[in-house]
Amino acid sequence: MAQTALTIDGLGVDFGGFKAVDGVTLTVEDGELRVLLGANGAGKTTLMDLVSGKTKSTQGRVFLHDTDITNWEEHKIARAGIGRKFQIPSVFKDLTVRENLKVASCRNPGVLPNLRFGFGKQANRDVDQVLELIGLAEAANRLAAYLSHGQTQWLELGLLITQNPKVILLDEPTAGMTQAETHKTSEIVNSLKGKHTLIVVEHDMAFVREIAERITVLHLGQVLAEGSVEQIETDPKVRAAYLGSKGIS
Amino acid sequence: MSDKRRFEIAIYLAFFALIMCAPLLLDPFWLNRIAKYLVFGMLGIAVALSWGYAGILNLGQGLFFGAGAYMIAMSLKLASPTSLQQGSDKPVPDFMLWNAEPGAPTELCCINKASFLWLPFQNQWFGVAMGLLVPIVIATVIGVIVFRKRISGVFVSIITLALVLLVRLVVIDAQPITNGFNGLTDLGWFKVGGFEFDPYIVPTYYFVAIALCLVLAGARLLIETRAGLILQAIRDDQNRARYLGFDVPLYQTFFFAVSAGIAGLAGMFYVVVSEFASPTFMDLTFSITMVVWAAVGGRSSILGACIGAIVINMISATVSETQGFAEAWKVIIGLIFVLVVLYLPRGFAGLAHDMLDSFLGHRKAASSHTAEVSDASQLAE
Repeated sequence: MAQTALTIDGLGVDFGGFKAVDGVTLTVEDGELRVLLGANGAGKTTLMDLVSGKTKSTQGRVFLHDTDITNWEEHKIARAGIGRKFQIPSVFKDLTVRENLKVASCRNPGVLPNLRFGFGKQANRDVDQVLELIGLAEAANRLAAYLSHGQTQWLELGLLITQNPKVILLDEPTAGMTQAETHKTSEIVNSLKGKHTLIVVEHDMAFVREIAERITVLHLGQVLAEGSVEQIETDPKVRAAYLGSKGIS
Repeated sequence: MSDKRRFEIAIYLAFFALIMCAPLLLDPFWLNRIAKYLVFGMLGIAVALSWGYAGILNLGQGLFFGAGAYMIAMSLKLASPTSLQQGSDKPVPDFMLWNAEPGAPTELCCINKASFLWLPFQNQWFGVAMGLLVPIVIATVIGVIVFRKRISGVFVSIITLALVLLVRLVVIDAQPITNGFNGLTDLGWFKVGGFEFDPYIVPTYYFVAIALCLVLAGARLLIETRAGLILQAIRDDQNRARYLGFDVPLYQTFFFAVSAGIAGLAGMFYVVVSEFASPTFMDLTFSITMVVWAAVGGRSSILGACIGAIVINMISATVSETQGFAEAWKVIIGLIFVLVVLYLPRGFAGLAHDMLDSFLGHRKAASSHTAEVSDASQLAE
C-alpha cells in the first residue's frame, strides 16, 4: 500500500452562507494522478484554492503527508511541497523562458540568501531538461510574452516541474488548446506520473481518458462519487448530475 | 559572455569615463551644477529600481530624498559659523535663537521644547548614519504594512503620494526645529578628516561622481543577482511567484528599502553640493519630476534612468536660461514626457536596446550569410 500524499478531511468554506465546498474528504496516494470532475460551480477550483492557501477554509483540515498545512500562507504551502497551475496561464512575461525556469529552480524563499550570482550548475541542468520535456528548448531565450497560448501553458507546467513539488494541482491544463496541443500536454502530464502526485481539474474528456486513473466527481461542493473511468461512467448518480444520459465519450 | 553583455559593460565604462573627465572641461560654476545633476542621476536609479524592477511606482520618493537631506543638513547646520553666534562655543542654530521665547536658555538642549533632538547631530557622522537609516526604516515600515496587505499598483502610488505631502506638512509645521518653509540654510561644509568639501572645488565633484558610479554599479549588480531576477518575476506576476514559494512582501519591502536608501544618500549629497535643505524637496512636483526622468530615460534600465535625469536637467538648465524659453520649457518637457509614454514606453534606453538588438541581429545574419556562401563555394569546387 502506497503512502498517502494528500489528505483532505472534511474541508469546507462558507462564503457568507453559501458553501462552495462543503465537507469534502479525499485522500490521494503518493504518485497517484487524480482527476476532479464536476459541473460549473461544483467547487473544483475552490477546492484547489483551499488546498493551496488562496482561500482560507472555515472547516476541516488538509495534510501533506503528516504535516497539517491547513490555512498556511500560500508561499509556505508551496515550500511545503504543493505546486499549482492556474486556470488562466500565468508566467513571468518580461523574462525569457529560461529565466522563468531559473526563478522556479530557486530553492530558497528569502531575499538575503539569494543575494548571489548564478543559480548553480545543477539548476542549469534541471532547466535544460525541463526545456526539452516541455518542448521549448528552441524558444529558451525568447521573452515569455511572445509565446503562443499553448506554449505559455507548457511553460507554466515547466515552472511546476522545475519547482519539483510533491503534489501538483493542475487547473484545466488544456483550456484553449488545439487537439495536437492537448495531446502533447497529456504526454507531459503522463511523464509526471509516479514522480509527483497530481490532482487535475479538467473538462476535456479525450484528455481525461488519456491521463486518468481515478476520478473524483464533485457536485454542489460535495463528493458525489469516486472510482475508475468505467465506474464513474456507469455510476447512475454521476450520469444524472453531470454527464447527462450520454456518458463519457 | 554575449555580445550584448560586452556592449552593456562598455556603455557603463564610457559613462564612468565621461563623468570622470567632466572637470577637465568645466568651470567651477558648471561643475557644481553637474554635481547636482549627478545627484539627480542617483535619484533616477532609485526610481528605476522601485518602478522598473520592483513594479512599485513610488510617487513619494521625495520623502526619502528629503529625509536624507534634512538629517545631514542638521549636522552641517550645527557645524556652520552661523550657529556659533554671541561668542558661544556650543552651537545653536541661528533660527532657533531668533525664535526663542524671551528668557529661554540659549542652549541646544532646551532652547525650545524639541531642540534636544538636535543634540546628537553635533556629530556629523550621526547625521550621515541617520540620513541612511531614517529613509530605510520609514520604507521598511511602509513596506511591511502595505505589501503584507497585498496593496499594489496605483494604490501604493496614492499612499506614497499622500505620505510625502503629510511629511512635508509636518516638517513645515515643526518650525521651531526645522525652520519651516525656509528650510535649513547657511550650512557648514561636509568634513572628512581635516578635509572640507567646498561645493565649488573639484574634489567635491569627484566625491559625488565616485559615489554615483558605485551606486550605479551596485544597483546594476543587485539586479543581476538571483534575488534581482526573482524581484522581476514578482513584478510580472505576484501570484505566480507566491505559488512558487517566494515570500513576495519580503522581496518588495527589501527592494523598496534599498531604493529609499539610495534616495536618502542622494538627499545627503545634494545638501553637500547645494548647501541647503528645504521642504520643496518634498513637494509633489519634485517627486513626479523624478518619475518623468526615469520614464524618459527608461525605467527598466538603471543607467537609462540615471542618464535621463542628468540629461533632462542639463537641457532644462540651458534652455530655461535662454530668453523666451524659460516658460516654454515646461511645456516642452511635458510634451517629451507624453511622446515618450506613447511611443517609447521603455524610454530612450529601450530604444537603444532595440537598436542594439537589431544591429547584433544583422551582424549575426550577415556572418551566417557569409558562412552559407562559403559552403556553397566549397560545394561548387
